[in-house]
This record gives sequence, structure tokens and C-alpha cells, in this order.
Amino acid sequence: MKTVAIAMLIFLGMATLSGGQIVVQKVQGDVQLRQGVTEVWHRVAPGDILKPDDTMKTGPKGTAVILVPAASPQKSSKRVTLPPDVMVDISDVRELSQEELMLKLAMEKVRSSSYQPTNDGLNIPNASVVHGTNKSGETALPENEIAVGILQLNGTRVLFENGFYPTCALKAMEVFRLFPALGERFGNRLLVAEALERARLKGEALNEYGAMLKLSGLTPAQESLLHERMGQLRK
Amino acid sequence: MTRCHATALLAGLLMQAVTIHGQSFMDPRAIGIGAFTAAGKDSRGFAWNPASLVQIRDWDFSVTTYTGVAAENAGFAFHGLTLGKRFLGSEAVAVEYAPGTQLHLVVPPTLTVSGGNTPVSNDREIKYDEPGSVGYAHRFSKSLALGIAGRYRRERVTDTRITLVQRDSIPLFPVSITQSLESSTWFADVALLWMPREDLSVGVSGRNLLRFAGASLPDSLEWYALPKTAIASLGAWYQPVTGLHLAGQISTNGTTILGHEWSPGLGLSLRNALFVVRGESPALAAFSVGIGWSYEFLDVGASYLRFTNRERHSGVVSLAEFDAKEIHSLDLNPYVRDRISLSVRAIFGNMRESLARIEGVEMFGAVYPSSFETFAYRPIGKARIRNISEKPIDARVSFFVEKFMDAPTESRSVTLAPGGTAEVELTAVFNERVRAVAKMTIREANILVTATPAETFDDRANAPVLFRGRNEWDGKAESLRFFVTPDDPDVLKSSRDILLQQREALGSVGAGMEPFVKSRVLINDFSGKLMYVSDPKLSADYVQYPSETLKVRGGDCDDMTVCFASLLGSVGVATAFVDIIPPGSPGDSHIYLLFDTGLDARYGASVSENPKRYVLRKGKSGRETVWIPIETTVIVRGFDEAWTAGAQQYFEEVELGLGLARGWVRIVDVN
Repeated sequence: MKTVAIAMLIFLGMATLSGGQIVVQKVQGDVQLRQGVTEVWHRVAPGDILKPDDTMKTGPKGTAVILVPAASPQKSSKRVTLPPDVMVDISDVRELSQEELMLKLAMEKVRSSSYQPTNDGLNIPNASVVHGTNKSGETALPENEIAVGILQLNGTRVLFENGFYPTCALKAMEVFRLFPALGERFGNRLLVAEALERARLKGEALNEYGAMLKLSGLTPAQESLLHERMGQLRK
Repeated sequence: MTRCHATALLAGLLMQAVTIHGQSFMDPRAIGIGAFTAAGKDSRGFAWNPASLVQIRDWDFSVTTYTGVAAENAGFAFHGLTLGKRFLGSEAVAVEYAPGTQLHLVVPPTLTVSGGNTPVSNDREIKYDEPGSVGYAHRFSKSLALGIAGRYRRERVTDTRITLVQRDSIPLFPVSITQSLESSTWFADVALLWMPREDLSVGVSGRNLLRFAGASLPDSLEWYALPKTAIASLGAWYQPVTGLHLAGQISTNGTTILGHEWSPGLGLSLRNALFVVRGESPALAAFSVGIGWSYEFLDVGASYLRFTNRERHSGVVSLAEFDAKEIHSLDLNPYVRDRISLSVRAIFGNMRESLARIEGVEMFGAVYPSSFETFAYRPIGKARIRNISEKPIDARVSFFVEKFMDAPTESRSVTLAPGGTAEVELTAVFNERVRAVAKMTIREANILVTATPAETFDDRANAPVLFRGRNEWDGKAESLRFFVTPDDPDVLKSSRDILLQQREALGSVGAGMEPFVKSRVLINDFSGKLMYVSDPKLSADYVQYPSETLKVRGGDCDDMTVCFASLLGSVGVATAFVDIIPPGSPGDSHIYLLFDTGLDARYGASVSENPKRYVLRKGKSGRETVWIPIETTVIVRGFDEAWTAGAQQYFEEVELGLGLARGWVRIVDVN
């Protein structure tokens, strides 16, 4: 019976692969899926087809295997295993083309600079203007739950281990924006720098290593490692 | 009384040396440049080409003096003065009184008789002069002018005859009798001046074309009469580079002149000319140098003319060599001597020559009443202006549209070198009447360039300006911002009323979440009151103002986006437009809204645990905050659905489609 089920799964998987879709091959324990921009998590079953805007997460004892179609005829499809306690955006489980990668990096710059309208000397007024600091503002709000950020960072490690270096780096940077504390951790940052390096983004990797030197509490060994990596990149 | 007549015979005089005094050129600038048929620009030069009188501004007055350079004729003497006047814009007249324009020959005595207390000699003096001229010019167009001039010439021969009178006490007593014989003639000259380009003028003149003779010399003295043949001259005045003019001229009397004028700036001009005369030896008969300086209404000049044949132009010539038929002009002939001329010219009156010209005006586009204020800072068009004077100028351009502007707007001052051009951007401060333009209207704009101090303008041009109707939109997201009116009383009242109704609920919200919650309340409330409807005339270029959308309770995506941006803006929430122009199908362009919760990225989970539901971007504060996308076309279904639809759209178009990086998605901040 089990053999039949596996055969069916493989058949199903192959059928969907021909359509270029990502399919859930295997599920064990707590594995959930969030579709698009909704906030509801559903349980995942083998054979489920995943959409690019979906997000998948595994619980402390959950694992899943997804089959990612080949990006090109010369390449083979990839089987990605999600270990316990990871969260992965399906849109990140793909190999970016060089153009997409450059555009993504450009978008990071656009995002960081933000678009401002033409300086025509005029501003549309805001009818309400608040002078002074808002004393009862954000401090009363809870920060984003760091556990969610850790799940996402674990997800980036999965991306790294499966060769999705560009999306690994970009996702990690996004996580750092939502969870600034995670961006202060040496190991997490090193993952980003290495992913950039593997993605052959030498300049960006060098910048990241340089930025890491400003992290507080670096040990001499960590500093030495960063200098060594930077030296290698400069060669 | 026995009377003996002793008359000096002409044959006897032929071996005598004739002393010559003469001066003719009235204008040091003309002497400096030489080839002046196409180069005249004031009242002093009309003897060369009366058509050049059209170049004078209003009243033009000059005085000239001169001196010889040899010891015997050194000392400044009055040459003459000119007075010119331009009138009716294209007409000009001038008169010249020039007692110094003359050639004076003295034939020394062949017989001197001493007797009594005073010796008596039989001198002969020949004097040619042109003491007066009048000129008139008419400008047919900017490039063509015609001029006529009348010159009054006199030729006078004065003989002193000695008669020996027999008296009782004195055998022979010499008595001298002086006799003057004079001819006078009015000569008419006609000339054309053609200025096909800014840097080129061509002049043609015909001298002595008509004669109106008065008294004439007797046949016995016809030998002294000057030739009256017509002379044609052709000249050109060309500016190859800014500040440098080249001049050339040929005449049918065998004179060829080449000259130039260089204006290095500060009102200075340096001139030089070479005179080649057929029949003279050497052929290069003379050269000249000159200098001029002008400032505002004053112009001074000096020149030095030197002849190469020192014997011929020494002021003394043997009577055998003297030939009056060689004197075609009192200006330049074999008997003129070296000289220095000085002149001062002044310009008076109000009608001044333009220093700058508008060569073209380009309007950039229509004026949309919604954004008319932007033209106070952003150019509405540009004007190309040229310095048509011979000195650097500071020019300003003004722009005015009657009824829609209270006063002309003026550009910053632009410094232009002589002949230089510049493109000056035009701005416009429109008044509130523009807002009331219901339908497309075209008005004429007046564009003036002013370079002359104390003058209203130097040149003017008109250009049509298109005013769109108050609800028309150019389709650009940046322009849609100007329909957003958070300070509109209707908008303020509407948002305040809703928030007051929810006052108790809002009171329990922490300040950090206030913008988000207020926005949700406003959108939820108005979603039940408004409905999505297409533009009334199926035009994507029609946008309702928020007060109109609230009044008619509906609109299309542009109207709804503008309305909600205004409502949120009225309670201090920053907004932005997401402008989508899908590649390959620009007709499916779409716009929706982002509003800023003001929450720092690390508090994003306070609005949603799914980061795909919000956008992290920097607002005006420079801080990366959480922005909520709202699809306004489904806003009638409530805040949550509009948010979900907006977030989904944003994720697909920006995150997956990379529209922002590829440029077909743009985010335009409203406030």
C-alpha cells in the first residue's frame, strides 16, 4: 500500500512538474501553509500544489519535502527538505536569473531610498500636524515576535543549503528589517555574506563583510575571519 | 590813366607747386573700418550709405574734430556735426553740417609786385567743399532698407589779378582785384542695405546718381571742375565669430577697401583698414587704425589715416601733376593728407534700439487647473533670446497671461555676450481664476525680453497657452496629487464627523496604532457611502475633486484614490499612489493607494502577522515604516477586502513581477 502511495505521489509530482509547479511530496508532523496575503494557516498534505505567493512553515517536529521543477531543460528538478522549525516563502524557492537578481538588488535600493515626487516646490498639506514627540506611541506596542523571525532565518538556511543563494540573502535582509535584533547576530549576517559570495555578488559580499566589522561584541576570531574573507574577495 | 593788365597765364602756373589742405571723412569709425557701405549704424555714416540711417535709435547727435599730423597742419579744427532722428519705427532722417569736408588748393603767386606799403601777388585758390548733406532712410522689413541722400557741393576758384595803374606821381601803381567764381551742385545718392542674417549685411550705394546744378564755372576754369560721374559701391559686413566683424568694399572708381572691427568687450572696439586705389603708386594707398568706446548713450571714437605715398599726399603737388578729374570723392583722393579724427556721439530720446530679441518660444504643455501652482516653480515654457547688440547685456524675460495672472513673472537675469543666445525658462504665477476654467480654453501669453535699463522691453512675442478644464488630468500620477485636498472644508468636516462618532472606540487605541485605526474607521465608514462608477464621459483624464466625489457619492479608481488620500490626509495620515502601467498594455493602467501607519518595521506584526500584507518603505521622515496598500476599486466592500486586494496586487506586481525595479510600477508620495 505504501509503495503504491509513493508511486502515486511520484506520478503526481512528475505530472505537476511538467507544468512547472512546486509540489509537496512528503509531509511529516506539523506542516502548515499560508496562502497569499491571508493570515490563516492550513495543514499541508502530500500532493498539494504550492503557489509563488504561499508561505510554508514546519513545527518543532514537522518536516516536509517539496519538489521544485527545473529552472531550465539542462537542469534537473530539485527536492528540498524542510527541517523542523522553518518558514519559507515559496517565491524564494527558485533560482533567480541574473536579470532578476539585479532587479531585486535594485529594488532594495529603491526601497531604501523611497520614491519622492518631483520637487515642484509644492506640498499637499496635511490638515493635522502633530508637533513634538508622540509620548504614548510605539513603545506601548509589542515588537514582532522574534520566534517568527528565527523561523524565517531557519528558512533562509534551507535556501542556502539548496543553492538558492540570492533569495537566501535577500530574504535574510528582509528579516533583519522586521527583526532588527536578529541582524545583530554574527552567524545570521555571515550567512548573508556567504550567500552573496556564492551568488557571485563580490561587491555586495565585500560590503556585507565590511558592515559586519561594525557589529558590537565581535570576538578576535570573528574579526579575523571577516578580514580573511575580505582579503580573499579583494584578490 | 593808363591801365595795364597783367594777367597770370595758366601756362605759367603749370610749373608751380600747389598747396593742399583738406579733410573729408566725417566719422572716425568709418575711417577705422574703411569699407563702410554696409557697416554704418549711426547718423555719421550716411554719406557712405544713407540706408544705414535705419540703424539709429532715436535722436542721434555727433560732433567731429580733426587734426593733421604734419607740423604745418597740426592743431584740432572743427569738422562738423550731424543730427539724426528715427521716427515711426521704420523711418529716419539726418542732416550734416560739415564745414570741414573740403579740399583747399593754393596756387602760389607767379608775380609779386612791391609798391606802396603792401606787396601784391597774384594767388589763385581753389576750394571744394561739401558743407551740408541731408539723408532719409526707410526700413521695408527687418532685413531691407532704402536710403537717399542729397549732398551740396561747391567748387570755388578765387583769382587775384594785378593791374598796374599809371598815375601822375607814380609811374605804375599795382592794384589787386580779387575775383571769385563758384559753382554749386546738389548730388543725389541712393543706397540699399540688406541684412539677411544676424551676422551679415550687404550694402549697395550709387553716388552722384542725380545732379541739380546751380551756378557753374566758366569754361576757362572748367579744368578745375570735379568729375560728376556716378560711382557705385558694393560692400559687405560679416561677423564670423562673436565680437569680430570683417568688412569689404569695391567701387567703380577703382577703390577697394578691406577692414575689420574687433570688440573684445567693455564697450571697446579696435579697427583697422587697408585702402587699395587703382592708379595710385603703390596700389596700397593708405591704411588706418581706429579705436572706439561706447557706454549706454555715449560713443567716442578716434582714428588715424596714413597714406603710403608720402610725396603724393604731402600737401604739396606740382600744378602739372594736379588733376581735378582724379577727385571723385572728397573722402578719399590723391590729395588728401594723413589725419587724426576724433568724434563724440550721443543718443537721446526714448525710442532705443533693441538690445535683445526673442527668436522663439516653446510651451511645454497645457495648464491643468488642479496643478496650476506648480508653474510658479516649474517652467511652463522657454524662450530663446539673442543679444543683438555689440556689447554684453543682462536680459530678463517676462511672461504674462491676461486675466489668469495678476502680474507678469520675470525670469532671472541672463548675461549674454554680443551675438550670444540663451534659452530662458518661463514660469507663471497664475491666480485663482484658473481654478474656475470649466472647459479647455486657449489664451494668448505675452512674452517680453528686457535688456535695456529703464525700457519696458526690447522685444516681444506671443504664444498660445492651453488651459484645461478644472477636472481634466494629464494621466500622470504626480499630477493626480494636486487633486488631493485634505484641507477642503467638506473633506475636513466629513472625516472629523466620522472620527467624532467613533471617539470612544478610538480613545482606547494606543497612539502608535492611531493612524492605522483612524484610517480603517474612515475607510470602513465611507466604503458604505460611496460606490464605484466610471467617469461620466468615459475618459481616463477626468478626475473629481474629493468634495465632488463626496457629493455625488461615487467615482472611478482615480476619484476614489484621490478622495481617500484626502480623507486620510485630513487626519494627518501620509499617503502615496501606486501607479501601475502594465508593460505591453498601457491602456490598462491603474492606480491605488498606500497609507502610512507610522509604525516602525519591527512593529509590523501589530497590523498583520503576514508581512506580505504591508509594505516597508521610507516616508518623508526617512524612517522605514509600515504602509498599507488599499485597492480603492473594491473599497465599497470594506477596509479588510480593500486591504487584502491591495496587498495581493502589490505582492504580485512589485515583489513577484518586480514592477518597481522594472519601472512599470511607481510609488508617488502625495504629502
